Amino acid sequence: MELSLARVDYLQVGVTAQKTMRLLPASGRAATQKVVVGDQDGVVTCFGMKKGEPVPVFKTLPGQKIARLELGGALNTPQEKIFVATGSEVRGFTKRGKQFLSFETNLTENIKAMHISGADLFLCASYIYNHYCDCKDKHYYLSGDKINDVLCLPVDKVNSITPVLACQDRLLRVLQGSDLLYEVEVPGPPTVLALNNGNGGDSGEEIVYGTSDGKLGLTQITASAPVHKWEIGNEKKRGGILCIDSFDIVGDGVKELLVGRDDGVLEIYSFESVDEPVLRYDYALSESIASVQGGCVGKDGYDEVLASTYSGWLTGLTTEPVHREGGSGEELKLSQEMQSKISSLRNELEHLQMKVLQEREKYQQSSQSSTAVSSVPAFSVNDKFTLNKDDASYSLILEVQTAIDNVLVQSDVPIDLLDVDKNSAVVSFSSCDSEPNSNFLLATYRCQANTTRLELKIRSIEGQYGTLQAYVTPRIQPKTCQVHQYQIKPLSLHQRTHSIDHDRPMNTLMLKGQFSFAEIHSWVVFCLPEVPEKTPAGDSVTFYFQNTFLGTQLESSYRKGEGCFKSDNISTISILKDVLSKEATKRKINLNISYDINEESVRHTLKLIHPKLEYQQLLAKKVHLIDALRELQVHEGNVDFLLPKYRSILEEADQLLEEYKKQPAHLERLYGMITDLFIDKFKFKGTNVKTKVPLLLEMLDGCEQDGLIAFFEAAA
Amino acid sequence: MSETETVTALSPMYGSRFGYALSNGTVGVYDKTARYWRIKSKNHAMSIHAFDLNSDGVCELITGWSNGKVDARSDRTGEVIFKDNFASSIAGVVEGDYRMDGSTQLICCSVDGEVRGYLPGGEEMKGNLMDTSAEQDLIRELSQKKQNLLLELRNYEENAKAEQNTQLKEADGQRGVIPANTQLQTSLSVNLGSDSQSAHVELCISTTNDTIIRAVLIFAEGIFEGESHVVHPSLQNLSGCVRVPLTPPKDVPVDLHIKAFVGYRNSTQFHVFELTRQLPRFSMYALSSPDSATEPLSFVNCTMNERPQRIVMWLNQSFLLPEDAEFQSAPFQVCFTSLRNAGQLFIKIKSGGEISISTDDIDLAGDIIQSMASFLAIEDLQVEADFPAYFEELKKVLVKVDEHHSVNQRLTADMAEHSNLIRSMLVQAEDARLLGDMKNMKKRYIELYDLNRDLINQYKIRCNNHTELLNNLKAVNQAIQRAGRLRVGKPKTQVITACRDAIRSNNFNVLFRIMRVGTASS
Repeated sequence: MELSLARVDYLQVGVTAQKTMRLLPASGRAATQKVVVGDQDGVVTCFGMKKGEPVPVFKTLPGQKIARLELGGALNTPQEKIFVATGSEVRGFTKRGKQFLSFETNLTENIKAMHISGADLFLCASYIYNHYCDCKDKHYYLSGDKINDVLCLPVDKVNSITPVLACQDRLLRVLQGSDLLYEVEVPGPPTVLALNNGNGGDSGEEIVYGTSDGKLGLTQITASAPVHKWEIGNEKKRGGILCIDSFDIVGDGVKELLVGRDDGVLEIYSFESVDEPVLRYDYALSESIASVQGGCVGKDGYDEVLASTYSGWLTGLTTEPVHREGGSGEELKLSQEMQSKISSLRNELEHLQMKVLQEREKYQQSSQSSTAVSSVPAFSVNDKFTLNKDDASYSLILEVQTAIDNVLVQSDVPIDLLDVDKNSAVVSFSSCDSEPNSNFLLATYRCQANTTRLELKIRSIEGQYGTLQAYVTPRIQPKTCQVHQYQIKPLSLHQRTHSIDHDRPMNTLMLKGQFSFAEIHSWVVFCLPEVPEKTPAGDSVTFYFQNTFLGTQLESSYRKGEGCFKSDNISTISILKDVLSKEATKRKINLNISYDINEESVRHTLKLIHPKLEYQQLLAKKVHLIDALRELQVHEGNVDFLLPKYRSILEEADQLLEEYKKQPAHLERLYGMITDLFIDKFKFKGTNVKTKVPLLLEMLDGCEQDGLIAFFEAAA
Repeated sequence: MSETETVTALSPMYGSRFGYALSNGTVGVYDKTARYWRIKSKNHAMSIHAFDLNSDGVCELITGWSNGKVDARSDRTGEVIFKDNFASSIAGVVEGDYRMDGSTQLICCSVDGEVRGYLPGGEEMKGNLMDTSAEQDLIRELSQKKQNLLLELRNYEENAKAEQNTQLKEADGQRGVIPANTQLQTSLSVNLGSDSQSAHVELCISTTNDTIIRAVLIFAEGIFEGESHVVHPSLQNLSGCVRVPLTPPKDVPVDLHIKAFVGYRNSTQFHVFELTRQLPRFSMYALSSPDSATEPLSFVNCTMNERPQRIVMWLNQSFLLPEDAEFQSAPFQVCFTSLRNAGQLFIKIKSGGEISISTDDIDLAGDIIQSMASFLAIEDLQVEADFPAYFEELKKVLVKVDEHHSVNQRLTADMAEHSNLIRSMLVQAEDARLLGDMKNMKKRYIELYDLNRDLINQYKIRCNNHTELLNNLKAVNQAIQRAGRLRVGKPKTQVITACRDAIRSNNFNVLFRIMRVGTASS
């Protein structure tokens, strides 16, 4: 059955955070459910739909930002009590809007994630997890990296309290009391957790997780070890996952999986015959989807998927057909409804416009006085700066609640801005003066009307580090702009992994000196992405990284007064050495640096790079041939006379072209990295081989592995 | 009229309107010389076509884009009334009765070979081609507007709150609170340059108090590489004053849309001051002292029935003068030096309304006359002009045109001769082959080969000759246009037609005479 859903926009509230919208369970005779949503102005809004009009049930006064909104209640009763987390406080409201709870927690930071199960309350700040029972502090855990979401397996099925934390370092941490039970490795930084099927499956132990790089998976959390059930990659390069829900929208008795992403795509996965979900339906909204839930809101008898977006729109995808077939009378009514809605909106607008004009005048007048100050209206910018594993580039996503006018991108390191198909903004590069203003990139993006989300792609070079700044100016009066900074780290293309191959030949860099654990940790944070800013607990720590472009690895383990970095790539070690010694000199710490270079590692790295190089060169050659072959094909009518190898190029032409287009300058980057490797190898020996680089490049065009290795070894 | 980029397509529309597309992704509609609307996209317009898609009797501008989009825009407002998407770039947009059923349809074709036809919408659609969710979209748009207004209102409220405690604090600076009476001042001046910097026009932007300018964005057309220029000083070079060097390549008035981010050193939020300054048309000319420069030999003289004060007003508006010039007595003279090539420009006003403009650049003289005439609302203006250097060059070009013509004729004759020779040689060679005289046949074919090579060489010469001829003809045509631009209104058209006649009758002396005094008869 083809699933066809129609979009309905209900209401707009303020900017909403992740997981801040829920549907109250249907009560009494009414079949439609009420919607409750909390926004960043601190307002909790509850409304129901009556004859296509949103009718408010209650609305609270503005306050601090609402980070989470959950429903709760005594176990085995309808979960219809509303809990919101604002600042470090948890408030409870009845479904009528009466506040029955105001619980000021002992957390010093703002609450980031919340889960409620009966009388148990699970709260997370950035690194801290706290478990309260009846508002009494029970358990406490300090996580190694930022906590994104928290969940507790259903107590009625599992018979024990098993909280699960989704942590930024690609781990799910399963707790027991205040202690870590075990860690579950997942393929990306998990951002959201949900119980499978809404209840954790038959065993109550199944949880679904979504990651910030768009992957989705199911894991069974048993008492002793995790069991991975399925995992869906992100083939289509869609956005990160922000919310997950289970609901039977098709009506076949099996709950489908609803997924909302930060690029505005809403997906419905169904479990048809197999256990692995299949994508059934997707719909693209224009802004990120903060929360999603299935239910019945707009019209009795028609199920729908309700989503709340970043800018606060509550949008439903309903099974109710837009054009009902039953007679023309109904249709007429529908459009009348619309008309009245539009005219009332227009009236409201006119009224507002007048008011705004008055205020504007007042504002203008105030600029005459010499004592008055003019403050800048704060607007919230939702930004994300992440490394893509597939093409080793960074993507910067900026989202604002109102339309963006323009964005100025400035960088003090050489980086490349790549074109993204999705954005329609007109980009213009300005000439840069690296001296004296240290600008290497100045570009303006002038957005088309109604653009609230802008995506940029950036390619960095390892070893060159600095800051990228984005000045975002929205289309709102009085005009203001906000600057956001992003660090381009020295080893920008590295990504955290769970384990590395210890059999590779490794080069070692040893640091010794009078530095504290916190100091060396801050240097590692400065050098490498995805390392928690907070100094880890304990007195030593080990992190593993992988170079997303070359596949080489890095192990960093350090403690007070001592650091050890191992990598099979000499360039990585060379960059680390340069940056660390610079940082230490800045703080006037005397460092004792020793390194152990493994000759074998260069050969190993070259062997690692070589297949990629060969593949890319072959690809480039093939793509080069496509046009000529196509012409031959047109001329001769058929391709039977061609060699099979050319015939296959013609057959795969489209894939080849696409692949080639997807990774522009890939070959150049590889060349650059091999050159770096070459220079770095001899730098450690104390010889400067820059004069031999042209020879090397010539060699690379020939592309012979043994020749290349011989060249590396001979050129001393 | 001039556009900012290469014009890639033109399409006639309704009445005197026409659509155009530029190579930088702009499409738009002109009515005669006035632009109705234009839009710019990051994609390129591959093909434009006028077609009445909504059956309202007026053609819409249909654009096929490089990203596979097709859109139909209203000729009056540029509003999108229909759009469709192809998988690959559009190759062309045409119209025709492709199905032979008597109704003309719009046909779009993509580079992948996909062809789609669109029939014009019927009467009952009332021009509403977008799908039924248009009303939904309208509601969305209105709500968005409401939200924006509410946000603005809240901004003012918060501002009022901030005014309660007027004491400026450290934290306020970071949040971007600045004194309400902060103003942004801009000034344009001519900078004669130094050893490290060539001469340019300088735009100076400064604040009136201790606030700093974090960055300046200038959006302007045709004077930067892209559509904008950014000045972003590094942290240690931040100040309340930013100087931007500008070098407009053409003498056209340019609107500078300036956005300046104003705040404090450690602010993360900035006020955006938006203002528009017009760069005067002849800003690339610096005032210099009259005696220091030797007067150019070329000049344009004319008489205007205008008060000299008005002309001085024009001068103040079109040039960047350190201070406004004032008219005192009848012989009034100003002298300028071009920042581009250091050429001299004299403008003299004699008693009796006689104005003389001396410059060696005939284009500049034309621009000045046109600008003056439009400022003073002069409809007809006859002038006397002499550009000895330029005329001398033109004379050479004309001689060359003649030469090229004769070379061309000679080459054509040669070619005819050669082709006759080939024919006879081919017959001889074939005869030799049939007779079995292989030695002779070989000889003939070698000769034929040589002849063929000669012919190819000759063809190449002919080609070169032809392109040169075309270039020279273009130069002649430009010269006529330039001579026309020195006049306004009726005399302008007269000069152009008279010049064309003179060329046709090959009478060069008359041509130069027309260019000098404006008429053929003395």
